[in-house]
Amino acid sequence: MHLIEFSHVYKNYDKNYVLRDLNFTVDKGEFIFITGPSGSGKTTTLKMLTAVEKPTHGAIRFMNAALQDLRPKDIPFLRRKIGFVFQDFKLLPDKTVFRNVALGLEVSGIFGGIITKNVSEILKSVELYTKKNEFPPALSGGEQQRVAIARALVQNPQVLLADEPTGNLDEDTSKIIMDIIKSFNNKGTTVMLATHNKNLINTGRARVIDITKS
Amino acid sequence: MISQRVSYLTNYFNIAFSNIKSNIAGNIFAFAIMAFSFFIMLFFLLCYVNIYNYMNLFQNRNTMIVFLRNNSKKNNVMHFIKGISGVKSVVYYNNESSMKFLENRIKHIKSVLKGINPNYLPSFIKINFKKSATSKIFLSNIYLRLKALKSVNSVYYNKMLENKIIQFIFFTKVIGLIIFIFLFILSIFISYSAIKLIILRKQSEIEILRLIGATNGYIRAPMFIESGVGAVLSFLVSFLLLFLIFKVFMFYGFDSFLEYFHIKIIFLDLRQILLVFIIALISGFLGTYLSSKKLF
Repeated sequence: MHLIEFSHVYKNYDKNYVLRDLNFTVDKGEFIFITGPSGSGKTTTLKMLTAVEKPTHGAIRFMNAALQDLRPKDIPFLRRKIGFVFQDFKLLPDKTVFRNVALGLEVSGIFGGIITKNVSEILKSVELYTKKNEFPPALSGGEQQRVAIARALVQNPQVLLADEPTGNLDEDTSKIIMDIIKSFNNKGTTVMLATHNKNLINTGRARVIDITKS
Repeated sequence: MISQRVSYLTNYFNIAFSNIKSNIAGNIFAFAIMAFSFFIMLFFLLCYVNIYNYMNLFQNRNTMIVFLRNNSKKNNVMHFIKGISGVKSVVYYNNESSMKFLENRIKHIKSVLKGINPNYLPSFIKINFKKSATSKIFLSNIYLRLKALKSVNSVYYNKMLENKIIQFIFFTKVIGLIIFIFLFILSIFISYSAIKLIILRKQSEIEILRLIGATNGYIRAPMFIESGVGAVLSFLVSFLLLFLIFKVFMFYGFDSFLEYFHIKIIFLDLRQILLVFIIALISGFLGTYLSSKKLF
């Protein structure tokens, strides 16, 4: 059984098809690059996996659940199994680094001592524990992205989706971010990373899905 | 299960209070607008209660005055009156006590009575009816029967005034209710607009919370707590302001000035205060529900 399965997925906005007959599978523990030029549907693919968008036709299965048939009230529970990292970080500026990461657990109904333990551990693994009381605007772009990764992974998700996670970062910082993501993949987290950056794709031995060929 | 719910609730309260603290200026502005609408409602209620109270004074004056002829015997008339069911009390005033009665009624200008011989004043009987015995037909009937007695010179009761006041009280009630409903709707609209300002600022935060798996309940619960806290604070501010104005009003002796016109000013009782408090809470919650409806 595959962790993720896209079969004959189409997505159109009005009469414009963004995705045509997209087919692929992802197994547990894999590192996948989703690539293609701007506007090719990379972000749409990831959005469909988090039920932000629905496919126009076709079927998407995640942990054997058909996402196209998901009821709205079940969507939050799906999203708790998926960590999402965005190009623009999407952190809450008026909450500390610690509270931003803790949010990932609080929305799942985890409170108290477990939060302190898990958040501290994940912040140490992204080397931001010393900055836990700082606010996002006081951090560099790379640090903010590490906070976003920590928030995505603190729930121990089945899969980490990253949409151009290095798009706003310089080369050195991008490398640090990629190393962190790879280290979590080595620990068993499945990763799907959308990028059009060829250099990034060439840095590892990951499987590449080029959606322009769909 | 219960501890989980308590944890959720504690967390919601923490989020709500941290949201209030993080946007203190915006919240003060929104709460001030809400307080203004609750103040208008409280002020209207205070005015209404006093007008209604004043009108009721007239309605409760169920009195009939029977003037007797000179040298006539009061006993026949008294006997007749005491036989009427619905009579609460009967008092006879001879010429001298008539003068005292008059002096008492016009105590502020009683000097005008100086030198007047009490014998000029007619003796009379004052009848007070029970509240249950004030129907128009009943009073007219008594009036006609008393007037027919030989010892009776004339009979007075505020027949016209009574009817007008009953009509006016009914009119006041209806108008008061309409204005109160209008103010209630207005307070919901004001709360809705004030809370919407806060929610619009949070739109990106709501989007992020959704993407990381927050349920609608998780996002909405702190909003309701925030507006509940806002409604309570706004109500307290508006109530204290009204109470302060009322006390200043009393302190400068306006009440004794109005007492000259037999107007006794009263403050809102606990039941009326609670009514506005509940309305404030409903406005806050309904305002939040309506302003956040589009987001969910």
